[in-house]
Amino acid sequence: MNDLSGATLRPGAEKFAHLGRSIDQIRTELGVGPVAIDAIRDPEIYALERKKVFGRAWLKVATDWEIPERGDYKVKEMPVADTSVLIVRGKDGKVRAFHNVCTHRGNKVVPTSGFESFGKARANVLSCRFHGWVFNTDGPLRSVPLESGFGQLDKACLGLREIACDTWEGFIFINFADQPEQSLADYLGDFGALFSGFPYHEATTAFRYSTVLECNWKVALYAFSEGYHVPTIHAGSLPGFTGIEHADFKLVGPHASSTIYGGGMDAAASTAQFAGVLHADREHGPRPELVPPGINPTGRGDFQFELPNIFPNFLIHLAAGCGYPGMAFFTHQFWPLDHGRTLWEGINYFRPARNAAERIAQLHVNALHRNAWLEDTGTMEDTFLGIRSGAIDTMQLMDQEFMIRHAARTLDQYLAR
Amino acid sequence: MTTTLALPAAFSDLTPFAEQWGQATENDRSRIRWGASAADFASLYAAVMPRLPDILEELANCTLDGMDEAQTNLFNLAAAFAEAAPHHELYSGSADVPFSFAAPRFQPGHGDAASTATLLR
Repeated sequence: MNDLSGATLRPGAEKFAHLGRSIDQIRTELGVGPVAIDAIRDPEIYALERKKVFGRAWLKVATDWEIPERGDYKVKEMPVADTSVLIVRGKDGKVRAFHNVCTHRGNKVVPTSGFESFGKARANVLSCRFHGWVFNTDGPLRSVPLESGFGQLDKACLGLREIACDTWEGFIFINFADQPEQSLADYLGDFGALFSGFPYHEATTAFRYSTVLECNWKVALYAFSEGYHVPTIHAGSLPGFTGIEHADFKLVGPHASSTIYGGGMDAAASTAQFAGVLHADREHGPRPELVPPGINPTGRGDFQFELPNIFPNFLIHLAAGCGYPGMAFFTHQFWPLDHGRTLWEGINYFRPARNAAERIAQLHVNALHRNAWLEDTGTMEDTFLGIRSGAIDTMQLMDQEFMIRHAARTLDQYLAR
Repeated sequence: MTTTLALPAAFSDLTPFAEQWGQATENDRSRIRWGASAADFASLYAAVMPRLPDILEELANCTLDGMDEAQTNLFNLAAAFAEAAPHHELYSGSADVPFSFAAPRFQPGHGDAASTATLLR
């Protein structure tokens, strides 16, 4: 997309040409100078981020296929907002988000263990274990034990406290602002159009990993926001990854994106056999035609995956089986737990295996990618230590690291508002 | 008296490896892999890799929720091989991924689910 003049485009690709940037344009718009690392190092900036970024931006918290049936719920602990969030599919089929807080005295309505919990509301009600207050899954307070003992109780005002919630392509987002400044559709803007139309909801086999990293959330985000590191960090798990090209830079409002092309891996012998299982089948094999037209607009045969940065903390790497064998897409999120602690979540999505051999092949591909993530996460705590040391005040960013430069600038804009 | 773990007859020679490596969940397989030596990886690889086409052909005829005990045991061995093979092929027999984060710090959300589960979401 950097220079499409004269190129034959896939139908629909022309609508996204305005997002593309050449390297010269990226350098002109974003600059080439060092970028200050104060925003990573300074705890006071993290305090501002909680309010001005995580308190105002749309945040992906779940997917439709995690809670497919009425009454299904997910609870997500969100220390960045000092709350526990209940995302629940109501009796009417609509997904809503609430603070997981009983309006009686503040106990969690749904007790939790770990950062994410799943369950199903029986009879479409949720009951607080502390005193038995009962809430409908669409929010209203339904019943209170010994209600007459309260003297007065305006039950109509004591429903679960709702959080703005909307869905894009099956990804469920929330916004902690009382009145979000933008709808989710407006917030995603051109990014929503660029990435729309892919059958994300069909890739319901998810292998999810998480870990708590002793680093600022942006150290983790930035480490996954560029392809410059691949030949070095992944020399162990991705040897012979040939001809990697990080290209098609796009600026999309507060978001950004880019494409990884490449000749693929000189696969190890076992990988070649497992890949053969997945590539032999149209269900799991490369499906470049499913990649939305603004991505890989000229239909290059060496497309691997799209590498975006959805402000502030979400990445969807869209591959359609063209990169890692059989993998439809994978996502990352970076949740601040404190200034120097981050919950990282990485999820590999495949289409459901229809036989046991396909699942075995998926386990192999998943393991290869998990191992690459172990290589990625291995740098993060060291990087944060280096930044805290005071030895450097800036980071030096090359062209392939433009999404870091862009995210840092977007962050500054949010903090200045 | 010990009971020998059952495998489909054509794969009975792999029984010692199924007993050493085969586990139903990723967490249990990881624990075994983290304790394995380069020699362990090498012998697993030498035994299973030549049979991998046959194993995959056998399992291609099985649905995830329709396997008998012997097929499930073969699946569990194949799953262990699928996750262990890179340690022999790429990591010189190291149980750790070289130059990486400590693997036990990763928490698989699906880690205690049987890898034969039809739904992993």
